[in-house]
Amino acid sequence: MNSDATPDPISRRDFLRGAAASAALGAAAPPRPARAITPLPGEIPVIDCHAHLHHHSRDGWQADDLALIEVADRLGIDRLCCSMLTPRRPASAEGFRECNRWVAEAMARHDGRVLGYCYVNPGHPQEAIDEIRRCVEDHGFIGVKLYNEHRCTDPVVFPVVEAAIDLRVPILHHAGHGHHPYPGQPNISDGGDLAELSRRYPEAMLICAHVCGGGDWEWTIKALRHAPGVRLDLSGSVTDDGVVEYAADLLGVDRLLFGCDMSMTAGVGRIRGADLDDEAKAKILGGNMLELLGRRPS
Amino acid sequence: MIVDVNAHLGPFAFRRLRHQSAESLLGLMDSRGIDVAFVSSAAAITHRNTQPANEDLADEARPHPDRLVPFAVINPSYAGWEDDLSACVDLGFRGLRLYPNWHAYELTSGPCLDLVDRATERRMILSLPIRVEDPRQQSWLVDVPDVPLDRVAALVAARPGARFHLVNGRGYVGSPLGRKDGGLPDNYRIDLARLDVLLRDEVETLLDSLGPDRLLFGTGIPFQYPDPTLAKIDVLDPPPEVRERILSRNAMEWLDGP
Ligand SMILES: [Zn+2]
Repeated sequence: MNSDATPDPISRRDFLRGAAASAALGAAAPPRPARAITPLPGEIPVIDCHAHLHHHSRDGWQADDLALIEVADRLGIDRLCCSMLTPRRPASAEGFRECNRWVAEAMARHDGRVLGYCYVNPGHPQEAIDEIRRCVEDHGFIGVKLYNEHRCTDPVVFPVVEAAIDLRVPILHHAGHGHHPYPGQPNISDGGDLAELSRRYPEAMLICAHVCGGGDWEWTIKALRHAPGVRLDLSGSVTDDGVVEYAADLLGVDRLLFGCDMSMTAGVGRIRGADLDDEAKAKILGGNMLELLGRRPS
Repeated sequence: MIVDVNAHLGPFAFRRLRHQSAESLLGLMDSRGIDVAFVSSAAAITHRNTQPANEDLADEARPHPDRLVPFAVINPSYAGWEDDLSACVDLGFRGLRLYPNWHAYELTSGPCLDLVDRATERRMILSLPIRVEDPRQQSWLVDVPDVPLDRVAALVAARPGARFHLVNGRGYVGSPLGRKDGGLPDNYRIDLARLDVLLRDEVETLLDSLGPDRLLFGTGIPFQYPDPTLAKIDVLDPPPEVRERILSRNAMEWLDGP
């Protein structure tokens, strides 16, 4: 995620909306559209499969989290699957536990809107497994978030994958494939690594994160072609034309998940822009994620 | 009316573009309600000698004078650029796109300033893409960083009489380019293609600090989907006067020129 810091988003939003702004601009703002995405057939919710809450060490985290919900409202996003990362990584066990505690609080605060991924560093194996079980079983987290502390094919990651299989929850895995080194990310996984992990654990529900912010997206899509256990998260700030259609062609729409990773109009815009029918878009926007989430026995 | 100040025609060296022909681009524009696009050659970004690509672009755009406004790509460090500029003016080009990092020159170098001056004399707009592709996805053959905003600020300060379109950029809020008190002339306008609305409020902040006559509708077609920029307008939902300025008037003002 991008960490550009800008102060006080609420007041600037009010600039375009409030009375002072209308006077300054000489015109009253018309009412906003209630939903910017056409409602889906059959009431399938729109689910952002990749979002983040803000770490509480950040000034204004409350306003930033509220802004996220407000943006979701304006873009017609019903649910946000959120994780919180430690500001410094590799994360300590205490660090990821703290993040997950705050995510659990946000889940309670925004009942039904915020779904939680449990973030762990597999380098603390026992603590990671315990944390995943606690978060999923006691607090209703919907999945596991892994970042770049270890490449996903590193055996240290396997017990985490096995725990997720056991609990029947997906793993959203940070990923990227560039043709130049990723600065500061020597252990980043790419689509090929996730495909390899999936061959080892075909029953794992793996999600390859942010293909539109993960370098060469054509490479990633091709690398995942023969790994049916890996879903593709379409999020990211890159709005390249054709990415959704190419992914649909090679992987099939059933493997594609709508996401933003905090680039909200990019995430929504690329689905709106994709040359696919409404049924396919409904699957991508929420149906496929709903199916994944439904695999966990309630 | 919608005017897209950030569009291209022709093939790109590192990726197939689906809508690279004029016919296909116009179809895309029609489907999204985009009336006019300022277009330059995508091929010229990596060609050593850009002029044949400019001529190809002129041929593509010529049958659609009401829809496609041609911009030339000229490298001021390459032989014969003065001749190319004259030829492009004769071909009806209304602006230039500059790719300093792809063409290996400095924005404030003597040759670049000469090019800016000559283009300004000929009433051309100078379009400055901050990036072509996300650096994380660039080919192994190239490693081209974004144009640093401080260099852009130095150029706009050095040539207050020129008129600049800054496209495919972001991060202006942290730069003098995005500040009311940045000490820069008001000779530049900024497109929405990569700006954030709502979450980081970049568009809102620029509207506040620079005013509604400084933002432009730009999408980056056919490299990029047009829909994210359209979605920004939707969710920002500016008052009609501001909407009209961003969608068309700010772009057309400079094109029509005083
Ligand atoms: Zn990530």
